[in-house]
Amino acid sequence: MITFDGVSFTYEAAQRSRRKRRSRGGEPQPADWGRLPDDLWALADLSFTLEDGELFGIAGHTGSGKSTLIQLANGLLQPTYGTVTANGHNLADKHAAAEARRDVGVVFQYPERQLFAATVFDDVAFGPRNLGLSADEVEARVREGLAMVHLDVDKIGQRNPFALSGGQQRRVAFAGVLAMRPSTLILDEPAAGLDPQARKSFLNLVVELHRKQGLTVVIVSHNMDDLAELCDRILVLNNGHMHALGTPEEVFADEPGLRAIGLGVPQAVSLANNLAKRGYSLPLGTGLPTLDSLAHAIAARCQHNIAE
Amino acid sequence: MSAIEFNNASFTYDGKTNAFEDISLTVREGEFLCVLGGNGSGKSTLAKHINALLAPDSGTVYILGRDSADPANTYYIRSNAGMVFQNPDDQIVASVIENDVAFGPENLGVPTEELRERVTAALKQVGLQGFETRETTSLSGGQKQRVAVAGVLAMEPSILVFDEASAMLDPRGRAGLMRVCRELNEAGLTIILITHFMEEAALADRIVVLENGHIALMGTPDEVLTQFDVLERLSLEVPFAVSMSHELRKRGVPVKMHVDAASLEDEIASLLAGGDAR
Amino acid sequence: MARNALFGRYWEADSIIHNLDPRTKLVGVIFWMVITFSAANFPALGVVVVATLALCFLARVPLGQAFRSIAPLSFIIVLTALFNLFWVQGGAVLAQWGFIQISEEGVRMAIFISIRLTVLLLAGSMLTLTTTTLDITEAFERLLAPLARIGVPAHEFAMILGIALRFLPQFAEELQTIRIAQLARGAKLATSPTKSGIAGLTSLLVPLFASAFRHADTLASAMDARCYHGAQGRTRLLPLAFTRNDAIAAAALVALLAVVLLISHIL
Repeated sequence: MITFDGVSFTYEAAQRSRRKRRSRGGEPQPADWGRLPDDLWALADLSFTLEDGELFGIAGHTGSGKSTLIQLANGLLQPTYGTVTANGHNLADKHAAAEARRDVGVVFQYPERQLFAATVFDDVAFGPRNLGLSADEVEARVREGLAMVHLDVDKIGQRNPFALSGGQQRRVAFAGVLAMRPSTLILDEPAAGLDPQARKSFLNLVVELHRKQGLTVVIVSHNMDDLAELCDRILVLNNGHMHALGTPEEVFADEPGLRAIGLGVPQAVSLANNLAKRGYSLPLGTGLPTLDSLAHAIAARCQHNIAE
Repeated sequence: MSAIEFNNASFTYDGKTNAFEDISLTVREGEFLCVLGGNGSGKSTLAKHINALLAPDSGTVYILGRDSADPANTYYIRSNAGMVFQNPDDQIVASVIENDVAFGPENLGVPTEELRERVTAALKQVGLQGFETRETTSLSGGQKQRVAVAGVLAMEPSILVFDEASAMLDPRGRAGLMRVCRELNEAGLTIILITHFMEEAALADRIVVLENGHIALMGTPDEVLTQFDVLERLSLEVPFAVSMSHELRKRGVPVKMHVDAASLEDEIASLLAGGDAR
Repeated sequence: MARNALFGRYWEADSIIHNLDPRTKLVGVIFWMVITFSAANFPALGVVVVATLALCFLARVPLGQAFRSIAPLSFIIVLTALFNLFWVQGGAVLAQWGFIQISEEGVRMAIFISIRLTVLLLAGSMLTLTTTTLDITEAFERLLAPLARIGVPAHEFAMILGIALRFLPQFAEELQTIRIAQLARGAKLATSPTKSGIAGLTSLLVPLFASAFRHADTLASAMDARCYHGAQGRTRLLPLAFTRNDAIAAAALVALLAVVLLISHIL
């Protein structure tokens, strides 16, 4: 469980306060809040809790504060104001931050660009070795990590990661994070740059890990259709502020609001909303309209019309 | 004269497998052509032939009536058929925007006074007027791609090739680039758009679908994108309106196959209005 | 960011110094070094100090900014001063600990050298504070141009320098991304000579080099696609041109040298 409580962050103040502390020896005062122009706040007054075992979505444009949020969640950055706690421990504490770094696995955008070792085995082993595990334990972790992404260590363990296909490289990089045995996974645009087929299978893999291994998963994405389909809850960020937080139904209920900040809604939702605007409200039942449920409702209504 | 002409062209990188094989394709001037295909279908190799970065091993490629295999035509073709690449960071040469935009025409030996005019005009065309002296690193991905487009436009080409130029952009950046792309086409440029985003393909006059170096499908967006089964087989993304039309027809609702969400919505609305509206 | 740290931040202003031809400034800085080293006594050095402050004023660069830009190099000044303080002997002995002693002459020399180096660095920073990196590369190419006739690839050198400057901030950014990703995998990035320290360093450098090669590959294609074929027949968006001010600057530099030499050797 990770909790953000009134978290604000600015890269500007990190530099400024360092300078200030050196000259005056004092901590920056919260009164400074608001004196900075709005756009200098990467995140502003953000509060939410990531529950254990949920699949959580984060939507927002480039520069909306998503990557700052990721680094705060695993203790790589410290908030300017507010606190981030993981399982009750404040990440301002060094040991808690180190623990969070191990426990919260982050798959960054284009993770294959961080591959570096001569063999797939060594690359996946990097994390476990950093944990100071024994050779046997490291091998077990590598085997396990690669198996989780459906790769066989005996087949590709000794291959050069740079010689693999793009989709495979991404899986190897993913395995390298899984080999740390995190309880929470954060994926930043996991499907970016993949073709439709690779994209579908990569997202399926993430969902499978969530269901079978019980991992808490956070997916950061621009793709509203993906977020609506996969996530239990969605957080929408806009210029570092929380725009919305709730279930997909709650978040996507406000189509005009999302359009106003340059985001959209899933295409089936958009079609259902447009039809409703024209006076054709369909009995869609509970839940967000999907391709299937909407097609079903339209077909039922048409048949009803013909029958009359 | 056609803008681009491939006659039974084949190309191989390693002498064994063909990146594409026996391609014949004619693009008329002012046409907006989209090339679709999965990874390894040969679409990027095809793009490099239009710019004379590569020449076919057999068959011929004529760009604006000139044989691309003849080295004497290389610079003529490169300056008239501009190319925008996938990664914005890989194609910006200079630190300052105006210098980057001027790079192409400087290489062509355009006189200094005219260079200034071309830079101003090109930046205006991509909606970045007033950005002349800004540093290229201060831009967003979408803006960088538009600088790359301006850098090509400053050579005053008549053909523009986008080689998956929007693949690394966020939706906002992608929309901006597509708007520029359409405006340039309306201004008369021949556009070759290589992509795997279907909403971009839907804007084209004609779509070519490549599969393993062969043309698998060719036609208007309505003809190509409505082929639900073929798109599935080639593991291409099926546009939402096409999936929806397909689902409705499966359930016995007599809609046409639509590519465009708005036209599908209209037809559904009229069906829902049913007997009482007619 | 990295570019600023390495080459001094460009200070945006519209001054006589900013508008000088970059070639004048590049040669001028070298000339300023000669002048500084020609100053052999305190009065002559005093003239150079005044001239440097005047230069700063003409360039409309706040003095604080100028000193901040040379701060990273201040350790050179301190080291040299300390070396002279202990090494140079002569005159009255001011302090003594065992075999180490500080003499009057040592103090004099330490002060003299510190001022000289500070002035040198300040003058050098005036170049980077008032000239964009692009102009510097351009000036560099043009000054080397006569050597092109005897086979020195002046254009290529400048092109390489320009592209290096263009990619520096980008690599800094990419390095940061890679660093964060490897830290998240528990990397130990301290440059300790331990096994995990070396693995940590490799985990940064290999992806960075891989990225550099990827960039280079496409960049070469992109430059080809834009008809790049070396210096031949290339024109310039911003051609360099000497103006009256450049002539005045050159005259002022020569006059300054004459004054400094006069004070150093005759007075």
